[in-house]
This record gives sequence, structure tokens and C-alpha cells, in this order.
Amino acid sequence: MAPASSDSPKSRPLLRAREPGAGALALLLNLPAGLVLLAVLAWPVLYAGWLSLHEVSLRQLRSGELPFTGVANYVRLFGDDVFWLALQHTVVFVAVSVALEVVIGLGIALVIDDERVALSRVTRVLLLAPWGVPPVVNGLLWSFIFNAQYGYLNRTLLALGLIREPVNWLGDPSLAMVAVITAYVWRTTPFNILLYHAGLRGIPRDCYEAAAVDGASGWRRFWHISLPLLRPVIAVTLILRTTFAFMVFDEIFAITQGGPGNATWVAAWYTYRAAFQPPFNIGLGSASASVMALILGVAALAYARLVGRRLEA
Amino acid sequence: MGRLSPLGRVGLWLANVAALAFLLLPLVPVVLGALQSEKSLTADIRSLLPGQPTLANFQLILSGGANRGPIFEQVTYLPKSIERFGAAFLNSVIVASSVALLTLALASLSAYTVARLNVAWVKAVVSLSLLARLVPLIVLMVPLYVLFRQYGLLNSLSGVVLAEVGFLLPYAILILVPYFASLPVELEDAARIDGCTRFGAFWRIVLPLATPGLAACATIMFILSWHELLIPLIVVSRPEAMTLPVVLAGLVSDYFVFFTLMMAICLLGLAPTLLLVLLLQKYVVRGLVAGALKG
Repeated sequence: MAPASSDSPKSRPLLRAREPGAGALALLLNLPAGLVLLAVLAWPVLYAGWLSLHEVSLRQLRSGELPFTGVANYVRLFGDDVFWLALQHTVVFVAVSVALEVVIGLGIALVIDDERVALSRVTRVLLLAPWGVPPVVNGLLWSFIFNAQYGYLNRTLLALGLIREPVNWLGDPSLAMVAVITAYVWRTTPFNILLYHAGLRGIPRDCYEAAAVDGASGWRRFWHISLPLLRPVIAVTLILRTTFAFMVFDEIFAITQGGPGNATWVAAWYTYRAAFQPPFNIGLGSASASVMALILGVAALAYARLVGRRLEA
Repeated sequence: MGRLSPLGRVGLWLANVAALAFLLLPLVPVVLGALQSEKSLTADIRSLLPGQPTLANFQLILSGGANRGPIFEQVTYLPKSIERFGAAFLNSVIVASSVALLTLALASLSAYTVARLNVAWVKAVVSLSLLARLVPLIVLMVPLYVLFRQYGLLNSLSGVVLAEVGFLLPYAILILVPYFASLPVELEDAARIDGCTRFGAFWRIVLPLATPGLAACATIMFILSWHELLIPLIVVSRPEAMTLPVVLAGLVSDYFVFFTLMMAICLLGLAPTLLLVLLLQKYVVRGLVAGALKG
């Protein structure tokens, strides 16, 4: 499409120029959203930092006096083995789930992008089904699938003769981690498939045709054309999925509650348990939350730069 | 793209079947579980299909525990989630609709200024939204609990709505900005030449033109609000104000719960958003892609 300015060279600059009132109008229109974001987003995040430096539990909240304790909450946090364990589990959870989301997402996106494949249209239509499932329901349904006594995974494996005795998936520490990752990846991968599918659609078909004329195989076309052109999309999904996996809560809550033992405690679960389960140590929870916010702040900045740059380009 | 060799065709067909299995297979146990009695589920741990399909689980849930029928006649304990289901479903409808409408109203005003008003500082709105979108919810909820306690917003639907609007607003802005930016400027210009004010042009020209984008944004916001567990879990402890995810979460620590009943209630809980996703797929897809990639 030709630039719009070419057909009305005279009127355009006049209208696009900063006329009086544009700044005021922008201020006015951004005021409602700005106030809400300030009250429910910016202020709480700063307030979490403040709370983390005070002794806060239900007793203090009732009396209304929050004594300043300096870095005591952080000392306690960093001295807590379970916190480090939760961070380790989070790293494992994030690394494995993001890798699976990217690989499975790319694989399915490539298959459904090919219109010659029978039924690929059906897959495209049903693509987002897992994304439509509420996370807590997703957790409950996978806890049923993985249930040792009556679950459908054991049923299927027994019926196929692949196992002789039921496997206690959620009772074994490493298997429980596999279970929550499986449940999480199933719900979140469709988002990646969708973005990769959109990215593949944006690649001109001529590129492939030219490569095919030159005798490039399907694998080489993927490696030398699709993958390089998808790189920006993959970068975006890497950052988004990493941060969201870092916050995983619902599946942990519904499937394992952090168990067995501490095997599936992750950062968000630690924060939740510290602040909202007895003894309701909100100061400690705030310290843990602040550490999480700092870690994720780095990822958020990378995301803002990556997508923001494209906006200005 | 040229022709496929027979081998390639079979390979791709198999890959596509595997993709379909990946997407749909985990939903099968929900349906199978929901359609049988606990007795038939536990009778044979190798059988995959329900021995005697029944709708008793749904009858029990939809009647709030009143319509027990022969299967639940002898049962002495029923989880609280059964009687709370109806009210929670209604609460979820109220919360998700309010959140969708409010975020849409606030976000469209902001997104319009980003897309159309040539003011230097407005560009920062997008960068801040990109940053704010990645604030971990649990980080927000710890201080928000303390603040809501002070301001008496705990245990109220309005507290839940307020928290969700704040949390989702940056995302809504990100979905709408590229949409407004893609609309032709000429129509607005024409309206302004005819004497329309800027806001008038926004209200009469831009908003009606942007209906598909607004629909996409509203649908996604409704779905995300319907899915939200952590916010209502922390803000609400009174049964009357619980939303559906909180009531469903109550089944987790319930050791006496029947899996068949749990799957039936799960099916009822996931049906609305699953249907929305499939019916309004065009909008959802466009909104998700725009919100992630185009800022």
C-alpha cells in the first residue's frame, strides 16, 4: 500500500502536526488507566519492597503497627534451605517446560502450516483448545490422569500391557515434577504454536519455491529459511514463556501442593505458603516476592526492548 | 510448494495425527470420568470406557446437591463445592464480564492515544505496559492483600474485579494498540475536516471501525478473568463471594472427593471458555498474536 501521505500532501502535515490540545487530550485519556495501574500495580510492587523490611503477620496487621526489622526477612529467606530448593525447582521447571513449549510448538506449527497435509485444517481449528481450559481445572484433570489408583495414564498403560503394576506418578519426587511439567506444557504450548504459525504465515512463499527450485530438501528449507526468519518470534516466546513459567502456581496447587515432600515447591508456591498459610509471615512472603520481582525484572526489560524496538521501526 | 513423495505424505499425516492427539487426548479422561459412577470407575482399573454411562454427576451438581438419584442416595458426605457451584458460576460471570468491560473501556482510551496522538511521552505507555505485563501475580498479591485489608476490599467481588483489571490492563493495551494503529487515518482526518473534534472522531469513527479488535480484546480478557485463581483465592474467603476457580480449588484438599464428580464439575467449569475459544477463534487468535508480537 502506498503511504497515505502521498495522496494528500498538503492536508496531512497540517493534521499530523502537534496541535494544541493533543497533549492535554492524551493526558485526559490516559488518566483512568494510569490511576488504576498506579493503585493496583505500581504502588503494590513498591509496597511489597517496603513490607519486606518490616515484621508483618496477622498480629501486626490487626494492631496496625508494623515494626521495622531491616533485612531480617531477607536473612531468614536466604537462610531457608526450602527457599533455595524452591528456586532450584523453578529453574528446572522453567528450563524444561520452555524447551518443550518451543520444540513441540515449532513442530506442530510446521505441520499445520502445510496445507497439503490431510486434516491439518482440523488441527488449526482445535489448536487453542488447551488454552481455553482454566489452569486450575487443568491441574485437577491431570491429577486425575496421573492418579495411581484410578488414573487414566495407568489404566491405558495397564490395558496396553506396558506396565504390570500401577505406577505412583505423584508419589515419586522426580515423577511428580515430570507430571506438573507435562500438565503445564500441555496448557501453554498452544500459545507458542499460534505465534509460530503466525510467523510462518508471514514468510513469503516465494522463498520456499526458490529454494525448492534450487533443490533444497525440506529439512534444509526449515534450517535456512523458516528458522532464521522465525528468530524474532522465537525470542519473544522465549521471554514470555520463561517469565510465565517462573510464576507457575495453579498446576502446582491443584496437582501436588508442592509435594511429595518438598519435591515440587517452586518460587510462587514458596511465596504463597510463606504469606498466606500459617503462620502467615507476610514480611517473609514480601521478601520472597521482591526477590522474584528482581529476577523477572531483567526478563521484562529484555522483552520491552525487543518488542518496543519493533514498534519504533 | 511442490509435490510430496508418498512417504513424506504419510509422515506428515502421522505428525498431524500426533499433534491432534497431543491437543485433545488429555480432555478425554474428563469426559469419560464425568459420565460414570465412582463404582464403575473403581470396579476395574484396566477398563477405559465407562461400564454404565450416567448423567448422575451432572444432575447432582446442577441441582446444587439436591437431586441425588440412586447413585448418590447412600452417600453421607458431599464436598462443599457441589452446593457452592451455582453461586460461584454466577460470580464468575459477573466478575469476568465486569473485568472485560472495564479493561476494554480503560485500555481503548490509552491505546488510542498511543496509536494516534503524536505526543512524546505517550510512547512510554507501551513500554510501561510491556514491563507491567510481566509482573508476577504472586508478587502483586502479597502487598495487595495488605492494602485490600486496610481498605475493606477483601471478600468482595469489587475487590476481585479491581485487582484483575489492574493486572490485565497492560495486556489489554498491548492488544489494542496495533489494532488502532492499523486503522486508516484518512477517515478520521475526513471527519475532523468536517468539524469533528479529536475525541468525536475517536468515538464516532475509530471505535466503530475497531469493533473486531475490541471484540478480540474483550473475549481474551473474559477468558483470562474466568481462569484466574490466585486473585480471588487470596482476596476472598467468604463462600458467597467465591468465583468458580476458587470453588474448584476447594476440591484439591478434599480427600473424600469422587474423581467422577470432580471431572463433571471440571467439565462444567471449563466448558464456557473452551466454547468461547472455539466459537470466537478468529478474534482470539488475532488478539493473542497482536498482543504478543506487535506491542
